[in-house]
Amino acid sequence: MSETEVLGISVDSPAANAEFAKQIGVSFPLLSDMTRKVSKEYGILNEEMQFANRTTFVVDKQGVIQFIEDGKSAVDPTSAITICTGLKKKEAR
Amino acid sequence: MRLAIPTLFAIFALLLGSQAPAQQPTVAKTHLKVGDVAPDFTLKDQNWKPVKLSDYRDKKNVILAFYVLAFTGG
Repeated sequence: MSETEVLGISVDSPAANAEFAKQIGVSFPLLSDMTRKVSKEYGILNEEMQFANRTTFVVDKQGVIQFIEDGKSAVDPTSAITICTGLKKKEAR
Repeated sequence: MRLAIPTLFAIFALLLGSQAPAQQPTVAKTHLKVGDVAPDFTLKDQNWKPVKLSDYRDKKNVILAFYVLAFTGG
C-alpha cells in the first residue's frame, strides 16, 4: 500500500530499534522517542513506567487524525488498514 | 457491646472494595480525538535518519503505531 506509510514509535534508542527491526524483519521506520516528548504530546506516556502505551493513530494526508485505537486491539493493524482503504476510496470519489 | 461478625465483615469488605479502583494500573489515554490535527514531530529512525510527520502531508496517509518496548512483543 504505497498510499500509506507505517511509522512505529517507541522510547527505545535507534540502536535498539535497528536490532528489533532486524529481528522482526520490518522495512518501515521504527522511530525513537528517547526524550518521551512525542509520547507525552500524544498523551500516551505512562508516567509511572516511562514508556508509551500501545496506541495506533491513523493520520490522513491533511495531517488530521482519522482513527485512534488503544489497548490490546491496537496490536492488530487490520482496522487501521481498513480505515486507510476507506480514505483512499474517499479520495477517489 | 458486641457487633455482629457479619456486620464487621460487611464493613471490611466495603473498605476493601473502595480501595480496589486505586490499585488498578494507570493507563494513559490520549486526549487527542478524531478530527484533531496530529501534533508534528521529527524523530530518528533505526538508521538514525530524521523522519518528520509533516513531510508526509499531501503525499501519504500515516499509521502511527506506538509500541511499548522493543523485544517485548508489546
